[in-house]
Amino acid sequence: EESDSSEDEVAPRNTVGNVPLQWYKDEEHIGYDISARKIKKRDREGRIDSFLSSKDNDDDWLKIWDDYNAEEVKITKEEAKIISRMMKGKTPHANVDPYPDYVDWFEYADKGHPLSNAPEPKRRFVPSKWEQKKVVKLVRAIRKGWIKFDKPKDEPNYYLLWGDDTDTADNKRQGLSYIPAPKPNLPGHEESYNPSVEYIPTQEEIDNYQLMYEEDRPKFIPRRFESLRSVPAYEKALREGFDRCLDLYLCPRTRKKRINIDPESLKPKLPSKKDLRPYPRTCYLEFKGHGGPVTSLSVEATGQWIASGSSDGTIRVWEVETGRCLKVFNVGADVHHISWNPSPERPILAAIVGRDLLLLNAEVGDEETQVRTKELLHVGEPTPEDDGDKKPAVRWVNNDKFDGITLIHHRAASTVEWHSKGDYFTTVVPTGESRAVLLHQLSKKHSHHPFRKLPGLPVAAVFHPTQKMFFVATKKFVQVYDLQKAEVVKKLESGLREISSISIHPGG
Amino acid sequence: MPKHYRPAGKKKEGNAAKYITRTKAVKYLQISLAVFRKLCILKGVFPREPKKKVEGNHKTYYHMKDIAFLAHDPLIEKFREIKVHRKKVKKAMAKKNRDLADRLLNRPPTYKLDRLIIERYPSFVDALRDLDDCLTMVHLFAALPAIEGERVQVQRIHNCRRLSHEWQAYISRTNSLRKTFISVKGIYYQAEVQGQKITWLTPHALQQVLTDDVDFNVMLTFLEFYETLLGFVNFKLYHSINVNYPPILDPRLEALAAELYALSRYMSSGRLPGNPESNGLIEDKETENNKESSKTDESELRLAQLQHQLPANEPGALMHLVEESTADDTEEESVKECRTLFKDLKFYLSREVPRESLLFIIPAFGGTVSWEGEGSPFDETDQDITHQIVDRPTQSHVFLSRHYVQPQWIFDCVNILKVIPTDDYIVGRVPPPHISPFVDNDKEGHIPDYAVTLEGYKSAGQNQVMPLPGLGDEDLGNSIVEAKSEHNEFAKKKKELEMQEKKYHEELKMEIEGTTFSNLSNKKADSAADVADEDEAQAAIDQAEKDADDIAKSVVSRRKRGLIEAMQISNDRKKSKVELLKQRKKAAESSASAKAKRR
Repeated sequence: EESDSSEDEVAPRNTVGNVPLQWYKDEEHIGYDISARKIKKRDREGRIDSFLSSKDNDDDWLKIWDDYNAEEVKITKEEAKIISRMMKGKTPHANVDPYPDYVDWFEYADKGHPLSNAPEPKRRFVPSKWEQKKVVKLVRAIRKGWIKFDKPKDEPNYYLLWGDDTDTADNKRQGLSYIPAPKPNLPGHEESYNPSVEYIPTQEEIDNYQLMYEEDRPKFIPRRFESLRSVPAYEKALREGFDRCLDLYLCPRTRKKRINIDPESLKPKLPSKKDLRPYPRTCYLEFKGHGGPVTSLSVEATGQWIASGSSDGTIRVWEVETGRCLKVFNVGADVHHISWNPSPERPILAAIVGRDLLLLNAEVGDEETQVRTKELLHVGEPTPEDDGDKKPAVRWVNNDKFDGITLIHHRAASTVEWHSKGDYFTTVVPTGESRAVLLHQLSKKHSHHPFRKLPGLPVAAVFHPTQKMFFVATKKFVQVYDLQKAEVVKKLESGLREISSISIHPGG
Repeated sequence: MPKHYRPAGKKKEGNAAKYITRTKAVKYLQISLAVFRKLCILKGVFPREPKKKVEGNHKTYYHMKDIAFLAHDPLIEKFREIKVHRKKVKKAMAKKNRDLADRLLNRPPTYKLDRLIIERYPSFVDALRDLDDCLTMVHLFAALPAIEGERVQVQRIHNCRRLSHEWQAYISRTNSLRKTFISVKGIYYQAEVQGQKITWLTPHALQQVLTDDVDFNVMLTFLEFYETLLGFVNFKLYHSINVNYPPILDPRLEALAAELYALSRYMSSGRLPGNPESNGLIEDKETENNKESSKTDESELRLAQLQHQLPANEPGALMHLVEESTADDTEEESVKECRTLFKDLKFYLSREVPRESLLFIIPAFGGTVSWEGEGSPFDETDQDITHQIVDRPTQSHVFLSRHYVQPQWIFDCVNILKVIPTDDYIVGRVPPPHISPFVDNDKEGHIPDYAVTLEGYKSAGQNQVMPLPGLGDEDLGNSIVEAKSEHNEFAKKKKELEMQEKKYHEELKMEIEGTTFSNLSNKKADSAADVADEDEAQAAIDQAEKDADDIAKSVVSRRKRGLIEAMQISNDRKKSKVELLKQRKKAAESSASAKAKRR
């Protein structure tokens, strides 16, 4: 039992001080008295005992068990009264008044004088000029109707806004063309509160949605409810309404043509193969003999012979009618391109073998032409390997193996084309830079390179069959040259991604 | 010189002059962004997409004419006035001039939007065309909690409720409701007014939560416009059926939250009392009608038939009937169908079903309806009730004379315009899947089973032959599926025929050559190889087709090719969706059959 006042303080028997009692929980004593003797724990009387004692003595309710000192304390009647007052929220002592009446420190009554002795000022008796001005102002404002006090009357809110709907000029919207907002999508089967089973994704699929990109993820996952009463409120209702509002006033609107047709109808109708007949469909002859892929083919001017070059290092000359292999030239390197001399009197084959050009006597035709060809295919004096400071673009060298001529190019040549007369021919050296397109004359065994500047890498070059014109195809353009003046006449733009070959109609 | 250089003193041209970014527009109009936003919403001004975005790709562009249109609007001045007024009140409050503040608060500057409505929708049909969003929004706000101190004023919510009920009452009254659909989001309705299809969504009648992720200022501005618009539209619609607007409702019914019923009562009794001039005109017309109709026996008969359905003491009941009977001759077939769907049926709603929705739908299709609760027109014990709508696991007390069905039955009936058998919808059962009436099944590529069944009911009704439900729908389903797959089948059959022909020829040849059996058996051994060859041949054909396709594609221009590709992608996506649905269906069916087996 504790009390604030020190007068009625009885020193407690226990001297351990204000420590938690549970520290002595396991001990037999609960502390020490003033002479350092242990205070033994005493058991509290049991419930039955306390009940009996309460029946026996009337003042038993005044007894309180003091845990700290392990003893029973009996409180006095006065103390009980104090406790009951405190429990009611009153002051502990009955004769204390917490709210006494206020007593002023100074008595004003019958003192005779005010605190200040100054006379009452004049303005207390004269009406205010400024107030009058203000009042006049207000009166004026009220009279003129500037200030109104009553609430404005409610006018009827709605009336017949649209008269009869006739198509007059008034019924047309003014200003810019109005683009109505697209209507919100109508709900499909999957939005039903009770959709068919096939619309409900499996748990696995729903888990997979989490792995998707957020914009690919489906916005709405169908659910199935067994009855209408079990459908909850849609929590995104406000959010979706708001999104629609945002779309309506923030999204730029344009008219877009939307074609809802079959994509097939956009493709042009290709003619069927039947309509394109007759075209060769059955194999008539097979020229067998090459051991590797055939890279190039050329037909002789008379149409009796064809020559083929293959990457197995051979050139074969065939008779067209029979498919008999007339001759095999084993040139020993890949044949890239092959071309017959267009003149029937000169059965000469030009072939790009490896990186150089090889002129061969095909050894077809009568003896007279054979003799002339042999003469033609003989270089009197081979071009020197190095004249002066620069390596020559082409060297004419006799080829003893095939009785022909080899034109050794400074870089790898890719194609060869004859002029229709059969005397001139041209080779293209794609990486040749300023010496990329070469003109050769067979009769004089002479080469030159008239076109120094080309717009890009040359791909092919051809002669015009009748006129003195020359065409050089680079990857994007076709340059047309006048052969006599050796200058550009025209530049044709193909618009293609890449030109791979060029050919001119034989009629020009 | 930069590409877009414009010499000093030269005017802007082209897109630079025609379009203006939002920031610049706000500066040009000398208003705040909030006010600009409000103006744009009210005036219906939206950003446009210029061909060339001069100021940058990420900016919003407005057309200069639109901005000029805003600049000349008196609303800007009104908004300024309101701002000034607010400042005045604040100042008066700060100076403790209560008097002035009260006086100011008494007369705040107001504005009206009727001018804007006629400006945006010069003809009534224009307004109807744009009514979808308006109705959805008003219905959404009508479902929000009307609590003081929330972000939405209670009065606005009540106004929304009133407007939505008025609209529903009109639709119900004129039988112009066409389709309904219960979705997870709420209930969709589609009505046809003056040839315009109007679709709107009402949330389920449950407590909505005001979330924080929306800007209520924007929504309330939209709502402000929509409320006005719907008010005027309602006025016009009510005017067109000769009913006074705004309606005066029975306060007792209103208090019981049965506004819709109150409205319908008002409408059936509602003439134009306050408008003697037009009233006279209408009466003249009516007498004429009366004369005409009196000639025909049929209408008289109907008059007698219908008489007992309405309380006799209701004013104008007779007149209303006359009008109805005469109107029948002229009105369209579809409206008539809608009017007579639930003609002789009497419904009773239990307290757990969505009352407002059903009170709207059932009368719209000619049914009579009552509900559990005060103010209802008739009791549960009424002997004439044919259907009771319940949504509970079991029904304890059952009247034998009536069907006990789940609410979905009403919606499905309405969508196919036929009263369908109630077997599947009986209390306690899981109802059949609810099918959306808004989907074009053929276009979608996948038809749910129940849609086929419903279609069966519909056509069965039309043929006046009632087949057994199981048998009928199967047949129908097959026929539809066949029709769909016929095209593919045809191609396959043709191929098969060709093969058979080839085989036959081969056999003939063999006979002619006189192959012996032993030879034949040898040949048979090769037949396995033949099959492989056939596969190869098929692959070759496919390849050839693909090649032809590629060639055709390579011929068209790049732009068109892109278009074709995009279309193909979308088609593929659609196809894969349908494929997924079929797969799921198969899985569900197999699991169901497995369950059945286990049993």
